Order: sequence, then C-alpha cells, then structure tokens
Amino acid sequence: MMDRHRATQRFLPLRPVEFHVLLSLAAGERHGYSMLQDMETRGEASPPDVGTLYRALRRLEDQGLISGVRRRDVQREEERRNYFRLTQLGLEVARAEARRLEDLLRAARAEGLLQARPA
Amino acid sequence: MKGKVMKTWTERWLRTVLRFYPRDFREEMGDDIVATYRAQCDRAWEGGGVASLVFVWLRALVDSARNGLAERVRPGIRWRRSGDWGRDGQLVLRRLVRAPVFLITMVGTLTAGLGGFAVVYTVVDRVLLAPLPYENADDLYYVWREYGWFDLDRGALSGPDVAQIGELDVIEHAVAVARRRSTISGSGTAEPREIDLATASAGFLQLLRAQPAVGRDFDASEHGPGRPLVVILGHELWRTQFHSDPSVVGREVRLDGDPATVIGVMGPEFRFLLHAGLGAPQTVDAFTSMDIDLGTADPFGGSHAGIIRVREGTPPAVVSEAVEAVGAAVNERVMDGRGLRLYPVQMKEDLVAPVRQPLMVLGAAGVLLLLVLLVNLATLLLARAAQREREFAVARALGANNVAIIRATLLEGGALGLLGGVGGALAAVWGARVLAAMAPLDLPRRQAIEVTPGIALTVIAIGALLGLLAGILPASWSARSRLDSLLGAASVRGGGGHGRLRRSMVVVQVALSLVLLSAGGLVARSFGQLLEADPGFEPGGALTMRIAVPQGLYTDAVPALHERIHETLASVPGVTHVGATTVLPLSSGTSQRSVSFPGAPGNTGDPDHDVQIVDRTHIRPGYFAAVGARMIAGSDLDDAPPEGVDQVVIDRTLAEQFYAGSDAVGATLMFGETPLRVVGVVEHIRLYDVHAEGYPQIYVRNGFDRLVSAMSWVIRTPRSPGPVYSEIGRALRTRDPELAISEAQPLAALVSDAVREQRMSATLIGGFALGALLLAAMGLFGVVAGSVTRRRHELAIRLALGADHRRVLRTVIGEGALLTGLGLLLGVPGIYVTGQIVRGVLVGVSPFDPVTLGAVSAGLATVALLACYLPARRVLKIAPAQSLRQE
Repeated sequence: MMDRHRATQRFLPLRPVEFHVLLSLAAGERHGYSMLQDMETRGEASPPDVGTLYRALRRLEDQGLISGVRRRDVQREEERRNYFRLTQLGLEVARAEARRLEDLLRAARAEGLLQARPA
Repeated sequence: MKGKVMKTWTERWLRTVLRFYPRDFREEMGDDIVATYRAQCDRAWEGGGVASLVFVWLRALVDSARNGLAERVRPGIRWRRSGDWGRDGQLVLRRLVRAPVFLITMVGTLTAGLGGFAVVYTVVDRVLLAPLPYENADDLYYVWREYGWFDLDRGALSGPDVAQIGELDVIEHAVAVARRRSTISGSGTAEPREIDLATASAGFLQLLRAQPAVGRDFDASEHGPGRPLVVILGHELWRTQFHSDPSVVGREVRLDGDPATVIGVMGPEFRFLLHAGLGAPQTVDAFTSMDIDLGTADPFGGSHAGIIRVREGTPPAVVSEAVEAVGAAVNERVMDGRGLRLYPVQMKEDLVAPVRQPLMVLGAAGVLLLLVLLVNLATLLLARAAQREREFAVARALGANNVAIIRATLLEGGALGLLGGVGGALAAVWGARVLAAMAPLDLPRRQAIEVTPGIALTVIAIGALLGLLAGILPASWSARSRLDSLLGAASVRGGGGHGRLRRSMVVVQVALSLVLLSAGGLVARSFGQLLEADPGFEPGGALTMRIAVPQGLYTDAVPALHERIHETLASVPGVTHVGATTVLPLSSGTSQRSVSFPGAPGNTGDPDHDVQIVDRTHIRPGYFAAVGARMIAGSDLDDAPPEGVDQVVIDRTLAEQFYAGSDAVGATLMFGETPLRVVGVVEHIRLYDVHAEGYPQIYVRNGFDRLVSAMSWVIRTPRSPGPVYSEIGRALRTRDPELAISEAQPLAALVSDAVREQRMSATLIGGFALGALLLAAMGLFGVVAGSVTRRRHELAIRLALGADHRRVLRTVIGEGALLTGLGLLLGVPGIYVTGQIVRGVLVGVSPFDPVTLGAVSAGLATVALLACYLPARRVLKIAPAQSLRQE
C-alpha cells in the first residue's frame, strides 16, 4: 500500500494539461482533439496549444499513466488516429491529484480566500 | 471550391510546420496533430473567414516551433524529471555482470588508460602546479647575477649584494645560502658519510617560515666570524645516520673532522632545494650558519645563492625594479659599469623552469590519451547498443519507458568510466612510484610525486565524466531507433543505422593514433640519438666512487692519502687504470674560470673573445685513461709534477679556438697571473648533457691552485661492480677508517641518469601511442567484422553471381583501407601541431623528420590493414548456396 502511495505521489503535482487529459479519459477512450473540446466544455479559459497537448499525451504514455491505440477514425475512415485510455496507475494518479486539489481548495476556504460552498 | 483550396493549403502548411518535431514524434503523433489543427481551421474558416484561418495558421507555426524544439531537447530534460535511478542502476550493473568479457576488457582498457593519464597528471600537478611547501611561497624569490661581458646563466651573488638587497623596502628578508660537501662522523653515527651541507646567513629558517621539529633554530650569536660550529640536521639524515634518536640534540658530532654541536632536527615535511643552477640536484642534508659577515665580504666574486622574501603581495614587477636598482648601483661601484645586472626569479618558477617543457609535452600526451579512450569507449558502447537494437525497439513497442533506454546507455557508460577511474587511480598509486623512480634526479620535488586524495578523486571524476560523454552518442541514437524502421531492414544484421557513426569514430581513432604515434616516434628517436651520442668518454667497463676525506684529520697529509688510495685501488685484482677528478662527467659540478693564450694564432685582439671562460677540473694523472677519454695530441699530466713548470691539458674545443690548424702542445696558457704549459689536448668530455658541449675545458693537477681532498675516483676493470666495491671498501678502511665512500656506481649509470628525462618521456609517450594504436586496430577490426556480418547476404549474392572470393575480400578490406586513409589524412594537421609542441624536447631530430613520420605512418597503415584483413578473411568461408538458403 505504501509503495502504491509512493508510486502515485512521484507524479504529483500534475501539469494542468496533464490533469485535463486524465480527467477526459476518466470518462472513457478519447483522441486528442476531443480532449481539447472537453476542456472547452469544462470552461477552461486558456486551453493548451495542440503541440503542448500531444507532447503531454506522449509523456503520459511514456510514464504509463495512459495507453494509446491506433485505430481508424470513426468519421474519416481513411485516417488512423491515436485513441487513449486511462491505465490503472493513471486512474490512481488522477484521483490523487484531485484529492490534492481538493485539499488545497479546503485550505483556501479556511483561510477565507474563497466563500464556503453553500450547503 | 474556395473551401477545397483552403483545405489543400492548410494541409500543406500543417505538414510543413510539423517538421519542427523530431521524426519519431512526427511519425507517432503527426497525423493526430494535423487532424486536430484541421478541425480548428475548419471552425475558424466557417466562423471568421480568411483572417481567422490565418490566425490559426500562425498559432500552429508558433506552437510547432516551440513544442517541436522542446521535444527535440526532451531526452535531456526527461532524464532529470522522471524515472527510478536505483532500479536503472541495478539493471545496468546486472547487464554488465552478464557480459564479463566486455566488462573486463572495457574496465581494463580504461584502467590502463586512465592510470597512464593519472600518472602524468600527478607529475604535472605535484611538480608544476602544486605550491612549494612554504607559507606564502609566492613571495619567495631567488636573485641571480647576469654578467654583460660573458655568458653565465644564473651567476651567484656576493655577500654585499645580498646585504644591500636586504635593506630594500619591499624586501622582508634576504639570506645568502651556499652549499658544500662535508663529511659527518662522530659519536652515535653509522659509517662516516659525505653530506650536502647548506651554509646560510641569519634568518634562513624564518624566511622559509620553518622551525626545527626538535631542538632550536640558530641564535643571533651563532652567525658571523668566529661563530661556534653548530648544525641543524635534515629529517632524512637524522633518520638514516642517527636512527631518529632525539637525544642527538646537544650532542657533538664531527663535520670534516671539526667538532660541531647538533642544535636541532627539521621535521619530515620540510624540504629545501637549492636551485639546480647548471643541472645537478641540489638537495641539502643539513644546515649550518655562516662564519662571515655578508656586508664586509668580497664584493666581486659570486659565491652565494640569494633568496629573498618580499613583503606580502608585492607585485613581481616592483620586486624586479627594486632588485635591478641595487644591481645598477653594484655595477657602477664595483664593476666599473661593465654591465652587471641583478634579477629576481620567483622561487617555484626558477625550480621548475628546466622541466616545464617536457612536462607540458607529457601533459598534452595525457590529454590526447583521454580523447582516445573517449572515442574508444563511445565506439564500444555504440556497438553494444546496436546489438540490443531489436530489444530496445521491441521493448518500446511493448510500452517500455523510452527514457529508461537512454538512461541505461548513459548509466552504462558512466558506470564503466567510474570503475575505470577507480582502477586508474589505484594503478596510478603504483605508477607514480615507478615514475618517480624513473624521473630525472634533478626533477624538483621528486619526492613529492605521489597520488594525493585530491588527485585520485579528480581521476575518478574524469573517468565517470568520460563514460557519460561516451554514452551520449549511443544513447541519443538508441533512443531514436524505432521498431518499424528495424523491421523494414529485417535482413540487416550485426547492427543497423549505427554504421556511419561507428565508421567515423574509427576514422577519428586512426587520426588520434597517428598524432600520438608521431609524437612517440619523435621522442623515441630523439632518445635513441642521445644513447648514440658520443659523450667524449667510454662509459662501459669503468666504476666510480667518491671518497671524502675529513679535512680536520688529514690537514697536511692529503697528497699522501691520495697516493695511498691510488695504490690501494690499483692493487685490486683486475683493475687496469686508476684516476681521480673533482668533477665526474655529466655531473655539472664544475666551477668556471677565465683563461687566455697570449700570442696564440686564434687571438683576435678583442678581449671578450681572447679571454675565454672555461670549466676548470682538478684531476690526478691517469684520469683520462681511466675514464676512457681520447687524447688527441700530446699526453696526460706527468705522474710527478716537474720542477718550476705547471702543466695543463686542454680540450679539443679550446685547442680549435686558439690553435686551429697548428699544434697547441707546448703552448702557454695564462691562468690569472700564472702561466701553465699545455702538455696535451683531449677530446671534450661532456660535463652537463649527453648531447651538448658546455664551456671549453682545462684540466689541472689537483693541488695546483688549490688542493681538493674529496675526489671522485674512476677505475677501469672488466669485473662486475659488486665484489670490486666491497674489496675496495675493506682495503681502504683497514688503514683509514674515517674515509667516507659514497656514490659508488658504474660510469655507465651516470650516462643513464643523464637521459632520465628523455627516457621517461619516450617510455610514457611511446606507451600511450602503442595503446592508442591497439585501440584503433580493435576499432577497425570491429567495423570490418560487423560489416562482413551485415553484408553476408549481399556478399553471398555476389559470389553466387560469379564474383570470386578474392574480389569480394578486396571489397571488404577496401572499406577498412578507406577509413584508415581518411584517418591518416585527418591526422596530418595533428602531426603539425604535435611537431610544434614537442619541438622543444627533441634532440638531434627535426619535429618533421620525414624518416620517423614516414615509418610511423607506414607502421600504422600496416597494423590497420592487418586489423581489416583478419576479420575480412571470414568472407572466404561464405558458401553462397548455404547462406542464401538460410535467409
């Protein structure tokens, strides 16, 4: 258990773009462009550049947080695209990051930086 | 329609800007990036027209430039950010242990190479770089005289010179030091022994900021005329002669037979070296005070080395100016303005000046050796990475961490380098001892040559750094190899894409070897010339020894004693000749005098030419026959001095200068006011260097102008030295137990000692060069062997199509020969630079000696072709049908 905890901790904190990616993939398999659209839907004020996103994807893949599969695009049959999904490790890291952010938020409220959420 | 054009151009533009990314990234993610941007462009086109579209285009450009470049440098960044160092290290070690041959070869090579480098580095560091073992040693200077009217390098100072310099404002303290040889004997000592005794004026030890470890320093009352004879022992003398007995302080010993009181003993770390002056080692065994008053001593003659300590931080230029001002005053007052100059030289600079150049050459060779090791290690790591190319690619395809592969290769290099560094440092501990034993006897601070912890750490760090550097190339290459490209080249075996890299490294190896070999060849040739040089005497079959006579015991009996020694030596069975001299050949210890030949045909009327500075040596008759010097005309001194006339033998160079073409025998030589008759002309006996003549020489009878009691004796005998020396020792001591016999060694040993520096350089640089040659040959072997394996299929087809084996063999060897040729070409500028560096240490050989350089290149080419031929022979074993069937 301890090892597991340490295994996730060494990835933290995630960069914003990395967290966004994991967040999108938590809902299921995605390709890069749809992740960008997810971010917009989530109201991200400054979505990352396309290059930044794909480099993050490759990095996360190298680190074993996500895994990629090359498949034909559902809309454009002639193109093969990388579809990504979360690995078990990725899921745990995403949760750990979310908890870390939650703790931060709680601290921000306690210090009066944010209004306590209405019950 | 318009939309379609837009789409085409967008597609082209996006594919173009994608080129910022490295290829492997492009292959993996390029389509996705383009698709994503394409979607964004579509949206922009529909929403805002051309302006919006151009905006997205620009964003794609900026984005790709930024991220593409970042991705290209990512391996370096990722290295730091991620991964599990401990596990990777373990893996690397496990892999190394699993390849013991590779591990042993590589660590062995690195140990030998880094060991060689470490030895050179130790010498350079300890001799040239490390500060002298005195506090604020930069403030210490020697001061020397330079005479404008004759050539004398580093003339000694007079007492008043030192006294006046001591009064300068910038000078904290100035002392005069002279050195003489004395015999020490007396209660509690071993056999009487001749020692080097420094006589120093007041304040000598304070100037060096040193204190005796036992006992005390000289007292103010113990200097000047009529002072009591007191002595401070050096640590080594105390250890060997007094068995480290502290109660020796206060005891009485005899110096040259006179009673002297020991007042102190210096500590083990205290060393004092008198400047080597004209070459002889000037270590000092003990110290005594001076029995003259410097200020009132003879102002003309130079008889002391001057040592000064300037006030802390005084710039050298200021010191020079002040000392030269004193010199100018002395020149006017004492020398009638004939051109005397005094000049200071920083102590360390002065001590190391004679060895600076040879050591710099050694240092340069050491650095070249490092380069050779670097290229060699990189080549082998690359070959190793290539063997695992498939493993890497498959592992990556299965989701392995790309960084881990890079890190593995880098760590592998670093680990090997580290191991090699440790091995090298250990080897250097031993190597430095060997080198110190080989080093020139007058190498300053020869005893200080040892591997310190700092040096060992530096060598280990250099080893690790070397390994990491060597790992970079294979690492960056292995990180980029992809499975698909490998599968595409399925028929390629024995390494794929690394071929060009590896071949260019072999070219560099050949070039580096050529440079090192040419330096080694030149230095070795120069050493060979030295060994063949005619020193003017016959070193073989002669033995020498110094017999010191305690003067106090034999005040009036020295001539009779010398006669007795002569008879004793001559009576030893097998001894054919006996002679004695005050100065042995190649020992640099003479003093100079000026002489003239009134009325000689060679006179020009110019006093600077007609009055000649010569080396004056005192001998006993029979010396020339004993030492094996050739008489050119006339004869040796008569056995018994004839009445009313003093005899002299002059050397060939002096005879040629004053009596060219006529007979010098019978001529009169003026030695100061005294006339001497020339009875013989002898070949010039080299007193300083094997390869260079010094001043012209005269040989006078011992006792002519002064009687020297301690002489060096030379006997000629075919017998081996050991038994002869012990017979001599026994025979002499039966009658004269106080005689101190020292420096018993064959005459040939003097010659061999005189070329120590050159032998050391030749051995080290030659060894480095041969090592480099071996590594280059191994590199070529590997490339050609790899090439045969890789091209097996192709070669089999050629053979099947009718090419004969010879022709195929030629093709394969041709590849190696081409690399060798390129390497030789690349090495040519290196030879030129090498020539400039080694020029100063070569004797009798031009730095661009065509014979040496030609022989070296031919030798290198031969070895290289052999290294190609051996693996290429495997071509002959290819049976086309079988090979092709296997595919």
